[in-house]
Amino acid sequence: MGELLAILEKYNHLLLNGTLETLYMVSVSLVIAVIFGIPLGVLTTITRKGHILTNNVLNKILDGIINIGRSIPFIILMVAIIPLTRALVGTSIGTTAAIVPLAVAAIPFVARVVDNALLEIDPGIIEAARSMGATPLQIIVKVLLPEALPGLILGVTLTAINLIGYSAMAGAIGGGGLGDIAVRYGYQRFRIEVMVQTVIILVLLVQLIQWAGNKIASHFDHR
Amino acid sequence: MIEIKGLVKNYSTGQGVLHALNGVDLKVNEGEIFGIIGPSGAGKSTLIRSLNLLEIPDAGSIKINGKEVRSLKGKELRDFRRKIGMIFQHFNLLSSRTVRENIAFPLEIAGVPAGERNRKVDRLMELVGLSAHADHYPSELSGGQKQRVGIARALANDPQILLSDEATSSLDPESTEAILDLLKRIRDELNLTIVLITHEMEVIKKICDRVAVLENGRVIEEGEVIDVFLNPQQELTRRFIRTVIDYTLPEGLEEMVIKGTLVRVTFKGESTHQPLMSLLVKKYQIDANILYGRIDDIQGTPFGTLILEMIPNGGSIDQALNFLKEQGLVVEVLKNG
Repeated sequence: MGELLAILEKYNHLLLNGTLETLYMVSVSLVIAVIFGIPLGVLTTITRKGHILTNNVLNKILDGIINIGRSIPFIILMVAIIPLTRALVGTSIGTTAAIVPLAVAAIPFVARVVDNALLEIDPGIIEAARSMGATPLQIIVKVLLPEALPGLILGVTLTAINLIGYSAMAGAIGGGGLGDIAVRYGYQRFRIEVMVQTVIILVLLVQLIQWAGNKIASHFDHR
Repeated sequence: MIEIKGLVKNYSTGQGVLHALNGVDLKVNEGEIFGIIGPSGAGKSTLIRSLNLLEIPDAGSIKINGKEVRSLKGKELRDFRRKIGMIFQHFNLLSSRTVRENIAFPLEIAGVPAGERNRKVDRLMELVGLSAHADHYPSELSGGQKQRVGIARALANDPQILLSDEATSSLDPESTEAILDLLKRIRDELNLTIVLITHEMEVIKKICDRVAVLENGRVIEEGEVIDVFLNPQQELTRRFIRTVIDYTLPEGLEEMVIKGTLVRVTFKGESTHQPLMSLLVKKYQIDANILYGRIDDIQGTPFGTLILEMIPNGGSIDQALNFLKEQGLVVEVLKNG
């Protein structure tokens, strides 16, 4: 009996730690992805033909970067950028090290999500702002981003959920987190109950994030 | 005030070059409401967007208060645009901002401090009758209310000129009426010059002082609204007038009127005070049969339209028609007897 409790405690401790590690990886990489992805997405949109700072060459380059970034499978990206990870974090193993490939993978994703959200805005609204003598920066800050806010929030939500999936893969090569636990205990040691528990936690996390994202987005949606 | 000369704008499309503006000349006087009417594709939208350089013309000149607009760039252009208000068919309000915040938007852009901004927004909301809706979002407003927000927003930076791009085209008749009244009122109160484009002759008839008819990128007719109604020169203009004063006789009726000559008589102002019908009968021995008649009000001037069937009763039709013309009436023979 005492032995069983000890095992349970050990696993609970393990699951709690894993959850925290996952949250840490996802949230930090999400913040980084948003910081870099939003400007990248905005720049892609406004350089499109007919937009406020049309620049065909720059647009094609940015569009290409985003597409390439999104087409590399995460597991390959993770390995491929190990030198970058080492340079930035000092190691390529561990939870903090996993943040680098996660962020790198999420930046183009966020950029595309931003690009799509901004393209949804009625061009008439942008024209009205131009007719008032707004500068391109004023149009970005006062028109594009606020008008696209609900779409941006949903896009960030989507990115967060994707990152949870990626973080499980990062776990598989020593990044820690729930994915790591599922693989090491559930898969390699045939502890089905541990695997089931981690999956339940992941499902709940995803549900919670989507629910919160929807709530916040609809709060800001006045269309 | 606004002088447009030889304005040209071409678009290259998949099928070749589209000549949106084909050498437009126009003059808009200070304080007037100038209407530009034309069918869709005539170049109205391109023309009005050229006035604040939302469209860049290929050739020609646009002078506002003697200053060439086409040479403006960067900050100069933005400062110039702040002095020209614009309203739109689909209102183009920011959905993320309340009424108050939408009206404050151009003031924020112009860098007006918050205190002054608030005072100004309050005044503007009162001017357009929206004070009760200050904290509503556009999605909670009716079309007419949205356009009021659009108008208040366009007036925020005290413009001298207001451009109206089909501002009533997506409104119901009642809201259209109210918005047109509002435009006229603010023109009078603020001494604005308003340039509007529309495809509805009703709008021209109701509030415009002068009108230009645009077809295929050219001005085909231009003048005081009452004169254009009285004596349209172009078939397109006649068609537009018929959309508000429909003197087309019911089908079949024209065939029945075989005896007489069918004549359209239009007149304005004092001409309506003459007892013309009795003179026709007594002096010119013509029996005149009124098939259609109405009197409209164009900018406060009575404007009459009559369709007469004239049957000679000893007199001559030509003499009678000359007499009517001498009285200052515009006479058009629709069908000879």
